[in-house]
Amino acid sequence: MKIMGVGNAAREHAIAEALERSEHHPKIFWLAEIRNPGIFGICKRTGGDFTLSKTTEPEKVANYAERWRVDFVIIGPEEPNFHGVPDELEKRGIPCVGASKDLAMIEMSKADMRRLQWEYGIKGKLLFKTFKSSQDAYIVLERYSDTLTWLQNVALKPARQAGGKGVKVVEDQQLYLHDEKQRFKSRHADWLEDYMKSYSDIDDKILVEEKVWGPEYTLQCFTDGKSVKGMPLVQDNKHAHEFDIGTETGGMGSISGPDFNLPFITKEEYDESLEIVKSLVQAIQDKTGKSYHGIVAGQMMLTEIEGPTIIEMYSRFGDPEALNVLSTLKTDFIDICLAILDGELSKLNIEFDKKATVVKAIAPKGYPDYRELAKNHPVFIDEKEIEREGCKLYWGSADLSEDGKILSAGSRLVEILAIADDMQEASRMVDNCIPYVKLLDGWGLFYRSDIGSYELLSKRIDVANRVRRLYHYRREKGILGKRIDWLPKVGKTDPVALLKNELSKSKGDG
Amino acid sequence: MAGIFGFYAFGEGRENWDSKRFIYYGLSSLQGRGQEATSFAVYNYEFNSLIWISGNGFVEDLFEKIKQEDVKGFLGIGQVSTDREDYVIRVDEPVSLALVGDGKPALHESRQTAFQIFAEKLSEELDEQKDPIDAIKKIIEQTKGGYSFIALTKDQKMICGRDIHGIKPLEVGAIGFDIGAVASESSALDVIGAEHSGYIKPGEVVVFDPLSICRKCFFKNRTAYCSFEYVYLARPDSYLNSIPVSKVREMIGKRLVQENPVKADVVIGVPDTAIPFAMAYSEHSGIPIKLGFTRTGRHIRSAIKPSQFERIVGVQLKLNPIRASIDGKDVVLIDDSIVRGNTLRNTVYNLKRKGAKKVHVRVGSPPLIAQCPFGTEVPREDELIGKALSNDEIAEIIGADTFAYLSIDGLVDSIGLPKNSLCLGCFTGNYPEGSL
Repeated sequence: MKIMGVGNAAREHAIAEALERSEHHPKIFWLAEIRNPGIFGICKRTGGDFTLSKTTEPEKVANYAERWRVDFVIIGPEEPNFHGVPDELEKRGIPCVGASKDLAMIEMSKADMRRLQWEYGIKGKLLFKTFKSSQDAYIVLERYSDTLTWLQNVALKPARQAGGKGVKVVEDQQLYLHDEKQRFKSRHADWLEDYMKSYSDIDDKILVEEKVWGPEYTLQCFTDGKSVKGMPLVQDNKHAHEFDIGTETGGMGSISGPDFNLPFITKEEYDESLEIVKSLVQAIQDKTGKSYHGIVAGQMMLTEIEGPTIIEMYSRFGDPEALNVLSTLKTDFIDICLAILDGELSKLNIEFDKKATVVKAIAPKGYPDYRELAKNHPVFIDEKEIEREGCKLYWGSADLSEDGKILSAGSRLVEILAIADDMQEASRMVDNCIPYVKLLDGWGLFYRSDIGSYELLSKRIDVANRVRRLYHYRREKGILGKRIDWLPKVGKTDPVALLKNELSKSKGDG
Repeated sequence: MAGIFGFYAFGEGRENWDSKRFIYYGLSSLQGRGQEATSFAVYNYEFNSLIWISGNGFVEDLFEKIKQEDVKGFLGIGQVSTDREDYVIRVDEPVSLALVGDGKPALHESRQTAFQIFAEKLSEELDEQKDPIDAIKKIIEQTKGGYSFIALTKDQKMICGRDIHGIKPLEVGAIGFDIGAVASESSALDVIGAEHSGYIKPGEVVVFDPLSICRKCFFKNRTAYCSFEYVYLARPDSYLNSIPVSKVREMIGKRLVQENPVKADVVIGVPDTAIPFAMAYSEHSGIPIKLGFTRTGRHIRSAIKPSQFERIVGVQLKLNPIRASIDGKDVVLIDDSIVRGNTLRNTVYNLKRKGAKKVHVRVGSPPLIAQCPFGTEVPREDELIGKALSNDEIAEIIGADTFAYLSIDGLVDSIGLPKNSLCLGCFTGNYPEGSL
């Protein structure tokens, strides 16, 4: 069997490894934009091939798949999906595990995903507003900044998935700090507009959503378009630094287990979250008339206002979340891929080890906001020692040159995974490996020691308990999802009704 | 003693933040830790330099005086102190830095001088060592005492740490995807709208630089948190070392009932610190609690005022008894601590004059018998009434009908940590091993 993968992060290394483990003993071929040393090694080992190529050009990718005569293709990252790589492959009759362009809209446009959710009445929604310019956003935010409306406390996001960049949460509850925060909000809106100029594939530029709080978690699922099967729940840690401080990243580390669910999410919440993801898959299939076969994930949060709530959707595995689930997957990964492609997923029993996993990313200083600084540093890793510690190394943003040297490529350099009976143990195991990762020119690396620690886990449990009490109460009272605003002279308003009205009007116009 | 605060902005666009207002509100919430001097330093991006601002008095007194536009910076640290002229430390060479500290390194008799020496050593080590973590490790290793500190360097590093016993607290929080904040108490983080995310551990060093936060803990298992923080120093809305202060104070109130029960008609507490003790005392004794006093003027913490005169004025202004609460009644009066006894004597006198029949005094901490070598102002040992006199004698002197302290075990149990994880020095005269 021959299989081709696309992408070059640690997530793709984990996918390649899961394929390599299979009883089908495939030859593994790969297309990537940098030479990830881990994936490169797997391709060589299995008698496949590895080629550098642009991964967002459908023609190119499909040409390689044809040249290598692969049985199917699996797509790692989101951008090839956004650019229609799976569509082109299918057009040429090459099966592809990956969301086609129209389906991947649930990830690419955070605004359209939200519109779809409201249109189909799917649970776990947030109020939102989109803007085409920062000026428009600023006028509205300023006008409502000290009113009793949801626009007072908002998250400002790029309306398109932009590599986990540019999200700012500005909570404006301390009136005495209003000026500071207001000024910052408007500047950030300017910055977002500027940033979004590089993306021409979307009209909405700036997305403003109501600010919510609660524990976050990622529910990754396999789907063949007919059934949606959930994987163990994972929590990613988005803040760049210790103590949950700092810039939003693609994820600095993730935890899962030990028993399928996370310690701060109930079985009922898992099931409800899975229902939400299922409904969204159905809705996008209904909307586009296409069948979804690939990976879909809900980046979720438990919120006071809605209970399990979608923050964003992924049309692929999360990174690092892929590592947590693929490393504990007991079922043959290729069997799963084949079931996805054949529409036989419902017949397959998918099993995972009941263990805790902790993944930590190690990044050169400069990631995520100043990537030029994080690039081109020579890397040395003592893989043997990491193995001796019982951990697994996944290469990420690292480029293997012809002469065998490895250079950092600007993003998360490697991710290290440990599997153990409990999270703290796994976290300690990973921490022991940190000294074995070095940049030879002395440039600094950073990682988060606190991921998987007792302190951080206790904090998550505490937040989950608080928010759970609140949304359970709302549910009992029958006011889950209900919001109410008030403006002087205007009176009470129902922002949910207003939003629905606006959405149906714009639908009529369009 | 002091309250310290640090503000650090991360990521693209971080220059847009102005730390000044955050420092203002952060320090205001720590005002209970020092009311004699306020000072802060910010890193200014345009001039690539540190700016120092200081003055005596309350936080608002200083901020009223400064020209807002002149003092701008997206990184900043500040402190309030119980001593006049006790300002942010300034070192210009070899590494230019500003430093704020709570507690006292065992480097000099005076707090300011001790921290000045500490900051100069830090500046030298930062210059010599490649990795700032190594520099601070060396200094913490060599410097005994009980202290926590935040330093801000001209090259945009914010360096925080605690002594190896973690005697003085230091809490950490975050705002959105931008801001890290560090403060003596978590209440300061709440007030600026930050999420309280944890605390710096004893002997731990945390270095913020524009591209990362690096954190290392070198000295484990030598924890000895200041117990007086939980009784008196900290605000009840704070968490220190992940222990909620108000919970400790409730436990103390309950314990006071168990240790020295008394029959009475009403419980009143001395504002502000003793109110939670009094509420819990009422709850567990079944004796109703009433509002005992109304305060006049600003909240002045009488135990930490520097001069005797100000202390007495502070108390008289502060504690005007509410007659209707106590007239004709047997009163349990709860206070947080007793130092020289003169504030309590005044209070008991005033209560009786306004009609209290009996006054039973209960103190929510054990007798203060020794100095604090870590910067908390405790009067000379020969002035401490708890060291000199028995309970019955104290009752006689202050005019109370009965008088009782909380036991040391009661305090330890209320905090809920093993005795050897606490510094009980001011109550026992024994200080954590290796701290002096």
